[in-house]
Amino acid sequence: MLHCRLVRSTAAHARIVAVRTDEAAALPGVVAAVTGADLAARGDMAVLFGPVMLDQPVLAIDVVRYIGEPVVAVLAEDPAVADDAAALVQVDYDHLPAVFDAEEAFGSDTVRLFAEPPERDPSFADVTLRADHERNVCNTFTVVKGDVEAGFRAADLVFDDVFDSPAAGAVPLETHAVVADARGDRLTVWSSTQTPYITRRQLALQFGLPLNRVRVVVPALGGGFGAKAYASVEPIAAALSRVAVAPVRLYLTREEEFVTSTKHAMRVRIRTGVMRDGRIVAREATAYYNAGAYAVISPRKVMFAGYGLNGPYAIPHVRIEAHAVLTNTPPAGAYRGFAINQAAWAYEGQLDMIAERLGLDPVEIRRINLLRDGDAFCTGETLEHLRFHDLLDGVAERIGWDPDEPAHRDGDLVRAKGVSCVIEGTITPSTSTASVRINPDGSIDVLTSSVEMGQGIRPALAATVARRLGVDPALVGVSYVDTDLTPYDQQTTASRSMYSMGTAMGRAADDALDKIRELASDLLEVDPADLEIVGGQVRVAGVEQQGLPLSEVVRRSRVGNVIGEGTLVTAGGLDPFTGQGIGSVHWHQSVGAAEIEVDTATGHVRLLRYTGGVFAGEVIDPVGAEHQCEGCLVFGVGNALMEELVFDQGQLVTGTLADYMVPTLEDMPREHAFELMEDLEHGEVHGLGEPALPPIAPAIANALYRATGVRIRSLPISAEKVLRGLQEQRGSQQLSEAATVGVTT
Amino acid sequence: MSGLEELPDDPEAVKMPDADDRVPVRLGVNGRARTLRVRPTQTLLDALREQLRLHGARSGCGVGMCGACTVLLDGRAASGCLTLAALCDGTEVRTVEGLESPSGELSRVQEAFLRHRAFQCSYCTSGFVLALEALLAVDPAPGETAIREAFSGHICRCGSYSRIMGAALEVAGAADRREQA
Repeated sequence: MLHCRLVRSTAAHARIVAVRTDEAAALPGVVAAVTGADLAARGDMAVLFGPVMLDQPVLAIDVVRYIGEPVVAVLAEDPAVADDAAALVQVDYDHLPAVFDAEEAFGSDTVRLFAEPPERDPSFADVTLRADHERNVCNTFTVVKGDVEAGFRAADLVFDDVFDSPAAGAVPLETHAVVADARGDRLTVWSSTQTPYITRRQLALQFGLPLNRVRVVVPALGGGFGAKAYASVEPIAAALSRVAVAPVRLYLTREEEFVTSTKHAMRVRIRTGVMRDGRIVAREATAYYNAGAYAVISPRKVMFAGYGLNGPYAIPHVRIEAHAVLTNTPPAGAYRGFAINQAAWAYEGQLDMIAERLGLDPVEIRRINLLRDGDAFCTGETLEHLRFHDLLDGVAERIGWDPDEPAHRDGDLVRAKGVSCVIEGTITPSTSTASVRINPDGSIDVLTSSVEMGQGIRPALAATVARRLGVDPALVGVSYVDTDLTPYDQQTTASRSMYSMGTAMGRAADDALDKIRELASDLLEVDPADLEIVGGQVRVAGVEQQGLPLSEVVRRSRVGNVIGEGTLVTAGGLDPFTGQGIGSVHWHQSVGAAEIEVDTATGHVRLLRYTGGVFAGEVIDPVGAEHQCEGCLVFGVGNALMEELVFDQGQLVTGTLADYMVPTLEDMPREHAFELMEDLEHGEVHGLGEPALPPIAPAIANALYRATGVRIRSLPISAEKVLRGLQEQRGSQQLSEAATVGVTT
Repeated sequence: MSGLEELPDDPEAVKMPDADDRVPVRLGVNGRARTLRVRPTQTLLDALREQLRLHGARSGCGVGMCGACTVLLDGRAASGCLTLAALCDGTEVRTVEGLESPSGELSRVQEAFLRHRAFQCSYCTSGFVLALEALLAVDPAPGETAIREAFSGHICRCGSYSRIMGAALEVAGAADRREQA
């Protein structure tokens, strides 16, 4: 097996003038040093890829668009030799003007990332593109409800604020890793992907192969959190395997991981019109999501952002526009809380500023505006089974919310509480298929292409099938993913698996039971309609008798195994110019309450306690659900207080875990609790991977606001920003005191 | 470490190996004597994974910040990614694979992690387990503060900290005397 080491661009935006690989290739042990031009010259593979737009080169050709972009791949038997050889490659660049900020890049006169519009991949049903390469835009999504100008005219007060979220890293502890074997007429990749079937399609397109000659095998992942969705390292390893006619292994260093997929930096201008009684009557928002140098999934992200910026409130007049803008920074991809973290950071922060101005309690202003059953959302959908008010009451009670409670002071330390509410969709339309096999010994095979990455989908699916079949979960074995063997699943993202795959799997189990009933009816010479299956036993309904175990039905009927199949296909989609249609098959409802302590001498903020409330529908695996919520808390604390990918002219300067801090045990609150609200009557399972996350950062910021009056508008809430806010506050107090003095004398 | 102790006093007499030279290292790994030939720049983590095929210690950051590569070096927790294999001559290394008893029984720390389901993706788990094993070796009944200190260099990005602490406190017998935060 050959090891691949990538030589990455040191220029943010440049024409490649020359690439010298001779010295590297001559190093003993080096098998090849390959450039993008080398791949293009072969003519036997596509050299551009991307899930929505075919814009990303496997290895850079002619132009580099961000610092860290793969330019040359070096192959050697020994990884250390590949490392040494990579250092010998020289690339000359002719630098071009570069842009790093999304708002600046939007319609920039000086920087354009693509001279020609990239080709589009037609496969994504729910992503309708309004791309405009002349303005560095890879999609725009607009939501219009009512008449927003009329709404603002009617409003007593209009609030106009700008909020920023920085790029961040998902930081799965295991970095991207892939082994590709393109020998013969097939391609096999063992990959750490969250999207096996999309990756298979992308690789089939790259090499002009039918889908069934590309095999994607996915073992358990060391975390994903969105960063491992869509092909990234796989096209490189596969191309090199074809070049070298040998299996090729590529795994990323931590620094490479940081520049492979990021959370979108985002800036939004949000205007909200309210009445004096606290009712929100109009909202207008313009958001710029920094897509980085390539589109990846940003075109879909702005759709989530479009309705996401409405928030969980009944607002009669809405106009939201979200742009995905290309810049000379690493590609931004999927990330836990997909576009909603940035939206909630803005609208929930602004809502507390509105409440303060109106003299309203932050909990009360939310109660006034939260969506209720029968309300029309900004997409035109009428929402039902909403529990926002119950969820908010729950967190308010658990945190000990008291509208009249003053901030607690103890010397420099000030404590206070904050709340936040968020609505989030899941990917719609969406398709999952599943198989359940009942073996003659009574054990059960569950075949799924949902990726296990620590979120616990395998134990949750085992529980689902065991419950349907009435057997011990220990009898159920759940597969890992192998596209040669496990049936189609769209992707393991968007908190969709427990709903989408879980439903398909339940149907597969039911299908297996139908077949068992048919077989048993032959064996027992009874009409299938007269048979019931209870606790893994088949028996004649209403007759006291020994049941026939499922295993015995399989054995005695000599069918080998009984295979049940299930599919879930959801429909929907939104018009990209109006945002009207079906945004989500169901809506995630999430609230949070935080108690923080800020040291006014240092600006340091600590999260003391946190409680969340999430609508779960039905909890399948309580421990797994608890894990997902605590995982959201790790991301929330990190996003709120610590995490930021800092770039200097496009160069990442926080590229190691010594510079980019993520929460350890000591950064976590000593107390946390989540309520997972069930509604078995309307029994629809909601995924829990993300919903708990978006309220956390705004709840912390709102608590800081109540503690100090300092409003932080750009994440993270660093000690430096808090201290500066406190100083400005003192400065303006002194100024106003001086002014008062001036008037009286 | 013994690899350094054997250096002669006169620095001029030391022949520095080239980067490609291999250095012999004799060490115990999980109770078994092994001899490896390693590059002078090779980390212990790399030697364990690539030469001995022991995959329990994992690379997470390469700079000693995440704890995923933790191994026991003469009983003490150490970052495999910061330890040069060539300097491990004469040491006893234990990885998570070496915690089982000869009859295949898991250690009580491992049992507790399983019982508490104190992991999600489990990439960090061997590091946390070994950190606790190292602590228990010097303090059989550590309190919560000592456990938190032992875990301070370990990242669980999935967020299983509560259950990790639950498992650790149970093993430490400290569950009933939790210290106040």
